[in-house]
Amino acid sequence: MKKLKWYAVILAGLLAVTALAGCSSKSQETLNLYSWADNFDMDVIKKFEDENNVKVNYAIFANNEELLAKIKAGGSEYDLIQPSDYMVASMIKQDLLAELDLKNIPNFKNVADRFKNPEFDPGNKHSIIYTSGVTGIAYNTKYVKEPITSWADLWSEKYKGKVLLLEDNREVIGMALKKAGKSNSTTNEADINAAVDDLRKLVPHVLAFDTDSIKQKMMQEEGWIGTLWSGDAAYVKAENPDVEYVVPKEGGTIWSDNYAIPKGAKNKALAEKFINFMLDPENSAKNYESIGYSDPNTAAKSFHSKEYNDNKMINLSEDELGRTEWLLDVGDKIQLYDRLWTELKSGR
Amino acid sequence: MNKRSFGVLAPVVLWLSFFMVIPMLAVIFVSFMQRDNLGNIVWTFSLDNYARFFEPLYLGIYWDTIWLSVLTTVFCLLLSYPLAYYMTTLGPKAQKFWLIGITVPFWINFLIRTYAWIILLRTQGVVNSLLMDIGLISEPLQMLYTQGAVLLGMVYTFIPYMVLPIYVSLEQMDKRLLEASSDLGASRWRSFWHITLPQTKSGMMTGSVLVFVTTTGMFVVADILGGAKSQMISNIIQNQFLGARDWPFGSALSVIFVISSLVIIGLFNRALRSSYDSSKEAKA
Repeated sequence: MKKLKWYAVILAGLLAVTALAGCSSKSQETLNLYSWADNFDMDVIKKFEDENNVKVNYAIFANNEELLAKIKAGGSEYDLIQPSDYMVASMIKQDLLAELDLKNIPNFKNVADRFKNPEFDPGNKHSIIYTSGVTGIAYNTKYVKEPITSWADLWSEKYKGKVLLLEDNREVIGMALKKAGKSNSTTNEADINAAVDDLRKLVPHVLAFDTDSIKQKMMQEEGWIGTLWSGDAAYVKAENPDVEYVVPKEGGTIWSDNYAIPKGAKNKALAEKFINFMLDPENSAKNYESIGYSDPNTAAKSFHSKEYNDNKMINLSEDELGRTEWLLDVGDKIQLYDRLWTELKSGR
Repeated sequence: MNKRSFGVLAPVVLWLSFFMVIPMLAVIFVSFMQRDNLGNIVWTFSLDNYARFFEPLYLGIYWDTIWLSVLTTVFCLLLSYPLAYYMTTLGPKAQKFWLIGITVPFWINFLIRTYAWIILLRTQGVVNSLLMDIGLISEPLQMLYTQGAVLLGMVYTFIPYMVLPIYVSLEQMDKRLLEASSDLGASRWRSFWHITLPQTKSGMMTGSVLVFVTTTGMFVVADILGGAKSQMISNIIQNQFLGARDWPFGSALSVIFVISSLVIIGLFNRALRSSYDSSKEAKA
C-alpha cells in the first residue's frame, strides 16, 4: 500500500523503542520485518513465533521512499521488507536486494500465475507478491445516476466540484494516459504533455487531491466520484453501500506490495521460512481475512469466508485484471512528471 | 570562555553541532550536487538547482506562499490584539483562566485539531447542518477544500503565537503614561493610538515574526483543509525528497527558504530596534 499514515510515523518510533527493549533476549533468533502499518494479522505472526521459537520485530515505514532511504543507509538491519512494485525494480537496479532461494519457499507454487514473473522482477528472482490492488473509479450511486464505464466520465460537467483524485503524479497522469489509450508509464514527452493538457480541464472540477484519507471523503459523500484503489473501495463499500467501483474499459493501474530480502540480511533463511509460512493456505486465509487486502494465494480460496470470496473489490475478475498495467520506472522522465504535476496543481 | 562555563555549555554546543550545524552543512553541500536517474546523489558541483528556483513556476509558488503567510499574519494580528487587550483589563484570576484557555488546545495533537475542522466544515458537517436546520440555506455550502478553509485553519493554528507576546507587552506597559495622558485631557482613543499602540509594537512584531515564519513552512493545513489543491513551497520541498527523488533540488529550495526566513527575521529585528529607540525617546 502506498498509504502515508501519519500515525505510522509515531508507531514506528514506539516500535523502535520496543525493538530496543527486545534486544535483551539474545537466546532467540529474531526476524526483523520492515513493512507498512497494519499489514499483518498479529495472531498469524504469533503463530510463526511459537512454531519456530523465534521473535518477529515488526517495524513500520510510511512510504517507499522512506524504505529506500533506510535500506540504502544499511539494509542489513532488516531481514524482510515489503517494497511496492516500482520500488522493487528500483532496488534491483541499485543492487540492494538479495536473490531469493525459491527452493526454500515451496509454497510459492500457491501464488496465482498472474502474479508470478511480473514485469518489474522477471522470474521472481528478488521478490514475491504479498498483495495487490487496481486503481479504478469509485462513485456514489446516490449522486451519479449514469453508468460509469470510462475514465472520460470523470470529466463530466455534472460532477463539477465533486471529483476526487489521488495525490500522486504517476497515478493521475497515468490515468489520463490510459484514457488516451497510451501506456501509463510512457516516456514519450508529447503523450505526457497531451495527457497533462487534458488534465488541465479536469482540475477545476476537482474537490480534493488525497491519498491517505480519500476513503473518508468518499464514505462521507464529500466527493461523488473519483479515483480509488480497489482495496480502499472495498473498505468504503462496507461503510457506505451506495458506493460502487469499476475498472474502466481503458484499463487501470495495478500495484503490488511484495516480499523482498535486502542484501546482507543477517537472517535470510528465517525470512524465507516466514514467506513460506505466510504462503501456507490456512495461514494465508487467516492473515488476509484480517487485514482485508487481496490474497494472491489460489490454494487459500477454500479457507476464506464466503463474504471475503464474494467481495468483488477484493477479488477482481480475470477480465478486470486483464486490462491493468504496472507503473514502471520512467527513468529521467520522472522530472518531467514531477514538473508537470507541480504546474497542474498550482494552476500554472 | 573560562573552563567552568565551557563545562556547562558543552552539552548544548555538542547538541547543536550534531543536530543543527552538521545537518545544515550537509543540506547546503547536497544543494550544489546533481542527481542520477535513480535518484542517487551525484557528487559533481552544479548551480542548476538554484537556477531552477528562479523559473516562473517556482517563483510563483513562492509568491503564493508569502501571500498566504502575510494574510495569516494580518488576520492573527487583527483578532489577537483586541483579545489580548481585553485580557489585561480583567482581574488576575480571569486572566489566568484566559491564558489557560489559549494554551490548553496546544496539548491536543495539531493534526487532530485540524481534522476536527473537517467535521465542522464538511457538507454534512456541523455548520452546514445547523445553517440548514434554521433555514438560512437550502443547499450545503462548500466550505471545505477552499482557500478560505486553508486561511481559517492557519489563523486558528497560529493565533496563540500572536496573543501571548502582545499580552506580555501590554502587561509590561507603563500604565502611568495612560494616567498622565488622561490628566492632560486626551481621549481614550487618542491615548491608545499614541501611547498603547507604540508601546506594544515589540509584542506585535514578535508575534508577527513567529506567525509569519511558521506559516511559510506549514503545508499540512493546505493539504488537509485545502484538499491539496494549492501548492506551497514546503509541499514542493517534500515532493523532491519523496516522489521526485531529487534531493539536491529539495536541498537548494530548503537553503533558499532558510535564507529568506533569516532575512525576514532580520528586517523585523531592525524594525523592532527602531521601535524600542522611539519608545525610549517617548519616555525621555
